[in-house]
Amino acid sequence: MAHHCWMIDSFVEMADRRAIIYRDNLYSYTDLYKRINHYIQIIGKSGIKSGSVVAINSDYTFEAIALFFALAENQNIIVPIITTAPEEIANRIESAEVDWIFTTEDGEFRGRKLQFQGDSQKHDYISRLVSEKKSGLVLFSSGSTGKPKAMLHDLDRLMDGYRGKKQKEINTLIFLTFDHIGGIDTMLRIFSIGGTITIPASRQPEEISRLIEKHLVNVLPSSPTFLNLLLLSGLHHKYDLSSLKIIAFGAEPMPESLLLRLRKIFPNIELQQKFGTSETNAIKVTSRSNDSLFMKFDDPNLEHKVIDGELWLKSKTQVLGYLNASMESFTEDGWFKTGDLVETSEDGYIKIIGRNKEIINVGGEKVLPSEVESVLLEMDEFSDVMVFGEENQITGQSVAVEVVPKTEIDKREAKKAIRRFCKDKLDSYKIPTKITIVDQTNFGDRFKKIRRR
Amino acid sequence: MKNQIEAIIIEALQDLNDDIESESLENPTKETKIFGEEGALDSLALVSLISDLEEAIHDDFGKEVTLADEKAMSQHRSPFGSVESLTEYIELLIKE
Repeated sequence: MAHHCWMIDSFVEMADRRAIIYRDNLYSYTDLYKRINHYIQIIGKSGIKSGSVVAINSDYTFEAIALFFALAENQNIIVPIITTAPEEIANRIESAEVDWIFTTEDGEFRGRKLQFQGDSQKHDYISRLVSEKKSGLVLFSSGSTGKPKAMLHDLDRLMDGYRGKKQKEINTLIFLTFDHIGGIDTMLRIFSIGGTITIPASRQPEEISRLIEKHLVNVLPSSPTFLNLLLLSGLHHKYDLSSLKIIAFGAEPMPESLLLRLRKIFPNIELQQKFGTSETNAIKVTSRSNDSLFMKFDDPNLEHKVIDGELWLKSKTQVLGYLNASMESFTEDGWFKTGDLVETSEDGYIKIIGRNKEIINVGGEKVLPSEVESVLLEMDEFSDVMVFGEENQITGQSVAVEVVPKTEIDKREAKKAIRRFCKDKLDSYKIPTKITIVDQTNFGDRFKKIRRR
Repeated sequence: MKNQIEAIIIEALQDLNDDIESESLENPTKETKIFGEEGALDSLALVSLISDLEEAIHDDFGKEVTLADEKAMSQHRSPFGSVESLTEYIELLIKE
């Protein structure tokens, strides 16, 4: 035995325990182990060298996961790409300097060598990883503007962070995607404790609710945007979600009003706040209490500080660097400026209140979209809202909002209702001056609101 | 057209007045001052008014106009002084 990738060895010990539920099929750790070995052979036969950069064009599937571990074993740099848009794929191949790409048509993956990249000199960060004989992982930021940033992680070091965890039989739905640090974290964490991951065919409330009922899912990691959609759909009445013990949320600030609604509707489920960034991986946090959004970092591998209201992090598992962008969000001594704005309490807890790029500057007054959204979500008229800044010639920027009405409402009435409702709840500069009625707010594949337009 | 524009402005001012509660905006007329000297609106209310008007003009006349831009700001006499001056300015923009 003794594989380069220690997790593969641990799969042997877990034997018959359920590792993956995919398309309603159950796969044990032995099934996974066998499939990994199958792909290790394919990789050998194809002549893929250690240190090559290899893309997997797929979201989570049983096969893709087996291939992922086989490539880690072969000390490759893995690039999960879930998009199917040819141009997006081409961009990622170029940014990550991909040598091989695995695609699937009938379930089984096949590798193809990309000729044009050849054996030209790799980026310094990649060369360093290769010379240390380590596996790597390239993830792309969901950056709201410009080209996605390709960031390189030391995958061996990332996996080492999951060693020695207590074994637990738990079924977790893998909500985030294969190319997202949160999705990778869920997979590695659950495999390290011998638990089960349930892979959804889509991330719509119906499919997620169905899977929770059918496979008795215990943990649902998600985002506030998704949870709001779930409540809105009313599907929590149709399906039996009583197997759920934990609903975890992260990726964007949680509106206080939504947290309160969730607490009321799911009194027996623990609502757990998560925090992490693509640059640092998930970070262990503890909330002050069940209904508080204040949290404390509880991670021996992490240091943090708050500079001018912005959260700075330094973590042992942080990225080696960006392959296609400058390192300006890192200081010379290795601090990562997260861009997240936080509020600090006297007893040392912090709360994420927004992204500094999303701050709306109304004639010099700063407005956080999440604060306004939280107030508007208390209104009976709307099921979802999204606040963003809009340029104007008078105050520089002003607060604009898109609202999803519950029942048909006249635009003029909607405006009046909003102004009336906000009047004694928000400073006047925070009250939206432009209101648009939409069918759905703009959120991405990751169920996170996209505010810059 | 003038009357229609004036009616749009007056209606928008009345809507806004739900919040501002200014006496001069209870029954706005042609002479009602909007912004600047003796104007009843502050800059935020003006931003709201402009956004309301731009929408109403689009709905009623099918035309996208930008009320507050370089051009409006550089007018010798501010178009936002009174209901009358704003009516004239909007008419100008619609006819463009």
